[in-house]
Amino acid sequence: MRATRVFALGMVAALVFGACAGASAPGGTTKVRLQLQWVAQSQFAGYYAAAAKGYYKDVGLDVEIKQGGPDIVPQQVVASDGAEFGIAWVPKMLASREAGADLVNIAQVFQRSGTLEVSFKAKNITKPEDWKSKKVGTWGFGNEPELYAAMRKAGIDPNKASDVTIVKQPFDMSLLLNDQVDAAQAMIYNEYAQVLEQKNPKTGQLYQPEELNVIDFNAVGTAMLQDHIFVRDSWLKKSGNEDIATKFLQASFKGWVFCRDNQTECVDIVLKAGTTLGKGHMTWQLNEINALIWPSPNGIGQVDKAAWDQTASISTTYEVLKSKPSDAAYRNDLAKKAADALKSSGADVVGASYKKAKVAVTAGGN
Amino acid sequence: MSRRLRQYLPAAAIFVCVLAGWELVVRAFSVKQFLLPAPSAIVGALLEHRDELGAAAASTLYEAVGGFAIGGVAAIAVALATARWTTARSALMPFAIAANSVPIIAFAPIMNNWFGVLNPLSKMMVVAVLVFFPIMINTVRGLTLVDPASLELMRSYAASELGILLRLRIPNSLPFVLTALKVSATLALIGAIVAEYFGGAQSVLGQYIITEAAFFRFANAWAAVVVASAASIAFFVIILALERLAIPWHASARSPDA
Repeated sequence: MRATRVFALGMVAALVFGACAGASAPGGTTKVRLQLQWVAQSQFAGYYAAAAKGYYKDVGLDVEIKQGGPDIVPQQVVASDGAEFGIAWVPKMLASREAGADLVNIAQVFQRSGTLEVSFKAKNITKPEDWKSKKVGTWGFGNEPELYAAMRKAGIDPNKASDVTIVKQPFDMSLLLNDQVDAAQAMIYNEYAQVLEQKNPKTGQLYQPEELNVIDFNAVGTAMLQDHIFVRDSWLKKSGNEDIATKFLQASFKGWVFCRDNQTECVDIVLKAGTTLGKGHMTWQLNEINALIWPSPNGIGQVDKAAWDQTASISTTYEVLKSKPSDAAYRNDLAKKAADALKSSGADVVGASYKKAKVAVTAGGN
Repeated sequence: MSRRLRQYLPAAAIFVCVLAGWELVVRAFSVKQFLLPAPSAIVGALLEHRDELGAAAASTLYEAVGGFAIGGVAAIAVALATARWTTARSALMPFAIAANSVPIIAFAPIMNNWFGVLNPLSKMMVVAVLVFFPIMINTVRGLTLVDPASLELMRSYAASELGILLRLRIPNSLPFVLTALKVSATLALIGAIVAEYFGGAQSVLGQYIITEAAFFRFANAWAAVVVASAASIAFFVIILALERLAIPWHASARSPDA
């Protein structure tokens, strides 16, 4: 009861504060918070760039970027009013929604999935069917549906020990490098590069992409939508907040456009934001992240209906969700308005000509 | 029997009241299940997923008991050596203290690399290190903290060191050892679950909690917590029974409020 009262008081305070902030809007700035789903790294470069280049300030926002980690669930933070905006993978947000959190996807920043299942050539794993009777790694933490869906598609039951041995792997590639798993889950912008940044003890050289077999879930057809921006629906419905959200998206998109067109400068911004990872690794990561965003055929932030339906249908088929999520779980209008505003100022919000650059891998990612 | 009943009644009453109050608060204020699931939802999850939870609990308990046995045997062996030879004490004690100071988060990944992430031994070793120190320290204390008068008596009968150990030191140490074992029993389960967080087999309580929490199915996660607590209590009760068998003469086994 006490907690509810404190919560209610908090809500009143927030309302009063919100009203005051609204009243002092001309010249003043509105404070909002963004909860990332992981530590500072190029995966969130656009937001750091928007803050560093003053794009948020230009639209009257003072954005506090909160770092995440394995123990932070952004949906929980946003649902309990610890932040206005959150970043998460779509299936995780949908699961939270089903559990009663009134969250809504307002911008699908990543158009493609960045998840891979990586193995050494010697294991001869080139397609999902080859995982049969092998030791296959996944992080868990809600990152497994793409893998499990691919397995079931190939006739392998991930819950049957006679079909496959699922190994929960830590957030590094030690198990693959020590030969404790036959295949390991890797994000193309992170762990995959971590393997390439290691020296092969046999050759004394860095591991080469030619030494690895990569299964890309986009190609398998079980990819699911990943990084998107979500808010509380009840927050969004309050007068003035749609405008704040649109401004936030506009500035964030501008940050992403900047990071596409100025990769070196953008990496420097990420490094200054307090990442613990090296410059080489962050450069690799930004290049790959850009490839997940660009091109955005319908403009940055738009949910592609086909990709959404695939995510939803895999989520329900493989019991991430009990029932099919409603289409109210996402909306495209705010992102469209934000992208249009950006476009009219001359920015390219589609990035049709974007091509991945060749980034040289550095030892240890330094 | 009625005395027994009176003894357990307050605990049972509090248990029921807390559960009822919890359920009531969750329902009355329609608390979202991702903040706090109702006890009824947790029981429902427990029943619905009993097979998975049972399998997971069995694996986790296996790791906990195995690690407990390894750590316990090692701790008692070291304690016997240090109680017998002062050189051994000064030589081994710093390492025992150092082992106790190793944080699990640093230790668990190393054990995974040494013993193999899928090998339950990697989790057992984490548990063993965790339970080693309390058992060893208490055993040393029990072996050395003997009544000087008893020791003089033994010596006046020209008893050998072995005789003193078997007839005086070990019986004297039993209450200390068993207290340490009781503390370590619950520690073992915590150690096993934390070690599971660093990767390994899928069907264990630690991974079950991670997965369910990641998908916001907190009733399931809480059900796993309930199972872990139950396993922990069962382990504790077994040691307690062992204590009554081993030292029926001790005050702690006789007094009703032990």
